[in-house]
Amino acid sequence: MKKQILIVDDEDDVRAIATLGLQMGAGWTVLTASSGAEGIAIAAQHQPDAILLDLMMPDMDGRATLQQLKQYPVTQSIPVILMTAKMQLSEQRSFNDLEVAAVFTKPFRPLTLAQQIIDVLTWV
Amino acid sequence: MEMTVPKADILVIDDTPENLNLLSSMLSDRGYKVRSVTKGSTGIRGAQTMPPDLILLDVNMPQMNGYEVCEHLKADDRTRDIPIIFISALETVSDKVKAFQAGGVDYITKPFQIEEVLARIETHLTLRQLQNQLRSQNEQLQQEIRERKHAEEKFAAIFRQSPNPIAIVTIPEGRFIEVNFSFLSMSGYTLDAVIGYSIAQLHLGHDSAAFLSRLQTNEPIHNLEFELLTRSGSVKSILLSLDHIEINGETYALMIANDITERKRLENEFISLVSHELRTPLTSMMGSLDLLSTGQLGSLTEQGQQVLNIGVKNAERLIRLINDILDLERIRSGKITMSKQSCNLAELMAQATEEMQSMADRSCIQLITEPLPILLYADPDRIVQTLTNLLSNAIKFSEAEAIVRMHAQPLTLNNRTSSVRISVTDQGRGIPANQLQTIFERFQQVDASDARQKGGTGLGLAICRNIVEQHHGKIWAESMISKGSTFHIELPLNVVLQ
Repeated sequence: MKKQILIVDDEDDVRAIATLGLQMGAGWTVLTASSGAEGIAIAAQHQPDAILLDLMMPDMDGRATLQQLKQYPVTQSIPVILMTAKMQLSEQRSFNDLEVAAVFTKPFRPLTLAQQIIDVLTWV
Repeated sequence: MEMTVPKADILVIDDTPENLNLLSSMLSDRGYKVRSVTKGSTGIRGAQTMPPDLILLDVNMPQMNGYEVCEHLKADDRTRDIPIIFISALETVSDKVKAFQAGGVDYITKPFQIEEVLARIETHLTLRQLQNQLRSQNEQLQQEIRERKHAEEKFAAIFRQSPNPIAIVTIPEGRFIEVNFSFLSMSGYTLDAVIGYSIAQLHLGHDSAAFLSRLQTNEPIHNLEFELLTRSGSVKSILLSLDHIEINGETYALMIANDITERKRLENEFISLVSHELRTPLTSMMGSLDLLSTGQLGSLTEQGQQVLNIGVKNAERLIRLINDILDLERIRSGKITMSKQSCNLAELMAQATEEMQSMADRSCIQLITEPLPILLYADPDRIVQTLTNLLSNAIKFSEAEAIVRMHAQPLTLNNRTSSVRISVTDQGRGIPANQLQTIFERFQQVDASDARQKGGTGLGLAICRNIVEQHHGKIWAESMISKGSTFHIELPLNVVLQ
């Protein structure tokens, strides 16, 4: 089934790579936002199937963005996957308190990104 | 003509000119320099102006008698110490006592025997000379003591107030006999809690055991990095230098430390920041190469594909390196705590073997694991990481067809199984004896080209050591050149979490 994914990341190149990966790897539709605020607006408007959210961003970081997404009725049920370059796999426990579906570490492999999302969100 | 130095200067005070002349000529004949006066007051003035070595004093004189003259002389600093011998016709005991009370050193009764007078003069001159000698020696000694005390105070102050922590310990026990204020404030201990105790007794951290064994080698140490566990439980990074000093014929170790905790913190912070900043561009780089290699963006020539593979391989190596640096830094700084739980060692050994099987197959290495089913209280992920790392090293440094073996054995203490030893043995080229310790430090490889050829980061064993130490265990290696190496890990089975 064709999915629609929103990628929120302040790095242009990372957005481009993830977009290509999801398009080429699974044929999904991809929406992008370069800041938390933009991401929230797009999520509210398009209701994507999932959001890939970068943790470290200027102004509004991943945590703050997540908090707001979970406050609005129109966005609160969209699954969010955090992406971070600062963390090791072993530290995923520290995100247990956050309402996220999963935490992906950077660098990620673009071609397997779609499969990773399918796995953690248990999409059939 | 030979100059004769007068033996001594003698002042004779007597109101009888005959006596005076007799004594004068008699003493002059013996080589003494003689001054003779007939009045007490003249004698006192003469003695004050130029103090003689000895005074012969008549008791019975008009105006001022001998006792009075003596008292005057004894009251004056300039003449106090001159020995005075009384000469008198009076010979009752009370006369003599009076003479001694007045301060005389001797008493001769008239008529006198020349030889007796001379003998007594000689005796008192010798006594006086010895007294003077004693006094000057005493003064010299006092001066020396003052100087020594001064020097000692100076060095004691340097020791006490040195901004660098200093300690003096016995060899080989490592018992503290002297420490300074800086040492106490760094370690958090009081003087009483340190002096007389050994390094092992004070629990100064996991580096203590290795340090004690180096103390016994009798070699000086320069800038050894030591993680000091303070009284409060915090860990400080220090650089430790040691040399031997001799105190009262005994040899001790003089240790001087340098607290580099803050420097290390900044260094670690920097590593963490750099790692993050490196990962972001690497994400794009890796991703681009991956997408290119699918062929969906246009097909590449064979050479183009080869170049792309080189790019992918090296990007992967860079990622491994950054991951290892970050991993090590976080374990070391305690940011990652071990998530300990009850686990079966056999399963962990099997899991590590499974992970490394394909690498072993590629290198045509036979991987033999003998899993030991024993319950362990540990962080399973971290133990598997450690075993995987050791297996990976063993495979990397083995030739094709060689065997890499992993086995474990329980260790008992007081009839109770208290710990387990896991050993990974290879048949590789071996590790020189002088590097068996240093390979557990960061970026210490036996051969500098290993990182490039074998794809290692130089951090694997440092990570292993940190993980094992976080489990209160130990890790070490044994090796024989061109025969192979064995890496051992010893883990306590059940330790209380700190």
